[in-house]
Amino acid sequence: MDVKITNQDNKTLVVLDGRLDTTNADRFQQDVNPLMQMEHPDIDIDCSGMSYTSSQGLRIFLMLQKSVLAHGGKMVMRNMNPQVKEVFDITGFSNIITIL
Amino acid sequence: MPLDMHCEMILDEYRDKLPVFNRIKDILLANLRKSLDEKNIIVAGLETRIKTEKSLTGKLELKGYKYRTLDDITDILGARIITFFSDEVDIISALVERMFEIDWENSVDKRKMLEIDRFGYMSLHYICRIPKSMCDDPAMPEINQVRFEIQMRSALQHVWANMQHDMGYKSDVEIPVEYQRNMSRLAGMLELADEQFSRIRKEITDYRRNVQSLVASGNFDEVPLNGDTFRSYCELKPLQRLADKIATINQAELYDDSLMPYYNVLVHMGMKTIGDVERLRIENSEAAYQLALLQLAGTGLDIVAYSVALQNLCIVYILKQGFGEAGLVRMFAALYGESAYNAQRASRIYQQAKKINLVS
Repeated sequence: MDVKITNQDNKTLVVLDGRLDTTNADRFQQDVNPLMQMEHPDIDIDCSGMSYTSSQGLRIFLMLQKSVLAHGGKMVMRNMNPQVKEVFDITGFSNIITIL
Repeated sequence: MPLDMHCEMILDEYRDKLPVFNRIKDILLANLRKSLDEKNIIVAGLETRIKTEKSLTGKLELKGYKYRTLDDITDILGARIITFFSDEVDIISALVERMFEIDWENSVDKRKMLEIDRFGYMSLHYICRIPKSMCDDPAMPEINQVRFEIQMRSALQHVWANMQHDMGYKSDVEIPVEYQRNMSRLAGMLELADEQFSRIRKEITDYRRNVQSLVASGNFDEVPLNGDTFRSYCELKPLQRLADKIATINQAELYDDSLMPYYNVLVHMGMKTIGDVERLRIENSEAAYQLALLQLAGTGLDIVAYSVALQNLCIVYILKQGFGEAGLVRMFAALYGESAYNAQRASRIYQQAKKINLVS
């Protein structure tokens, strides 16, 4: 999966492309680790190119969300395709993470 | 007006001691913040200031004759703690008494000084020193000698004091007679409001305690559904069994999230008492599990949120009541706001519900 992280106007944009599964979850975790050190982060995750997420992906999003809230910030995920959105829905993760 | 020699000496002393005041200010602020945090006391404001040279000069011009040395002026350094409620001032003062050495002779409880037919500026002023147990620095022994003032007042007392100050009066004695009555009425109103806020807060606290015992007693039909009662009900973990069963589908980890976002959904669904919510659980748990089984089995998703149990219970209830896809869209809108996802999701669930005969 390709992960592109850019910062502009105090906002962090994360663009995801491809499948997030066991083969690349560790790398994704490393990619987002710096975001967990930020104070008052404002993170926008564009999922339009993400075709799938496994449980490991969900765990990383959950960890990121908890860290963001603990640092007084906010995080939204947007543009999920129906298959990815279903994963969030049936696990109850739509109740935890803001999906636009 | 130029200051006389005596006042100039006091002003020189002030300049010499500024580093000491700054150091005490830092110690004072850090220790107050730490103590408030430790006691979980949330205040409306905590501020410190060192009197400016200009302000001190003004004070000396007016009543410099009253002071022998700078030490006689106890408000060069001041801290102010503003509480939300008037009854919290006593809690804060007890904390301050434990933290600092109090110069009782010069400390004033202005709340007790007002005559019975007068209202107005009310706050508690303590004159303090930093005790050696808090800071003992041989390089700057003055830290434990210099006195400073801590003011404690409620937010409304603070508003009143600021309004008076803004209007150019430091006490209501200076207010022209024709305005005194109106000022007294206003002050009385604020004082009454302060008392009422404290009383209401106490009543709400008592109510919440009662609700907790009522919910804990299991008399759910007697408990009206509101934010407080639902929170107490959630603390009993009523959906743990269903959530555990859902987690078992993929031997999943259960993430313990809040059910509170569902309060509005339950209200929209017409639930009036905690008993209604309990019946929702009892009568629909099996179908909610079957829906989760259909959705999760074979996906390998080994983490689920606790709230998925209530999510599925609500879905089942809405479909059983015949509200169809439109009912589900309304539920999702109540949870997440209006979104294009809501209709897609409702449609998908409706098709799944047909497979387990929830709808025909």
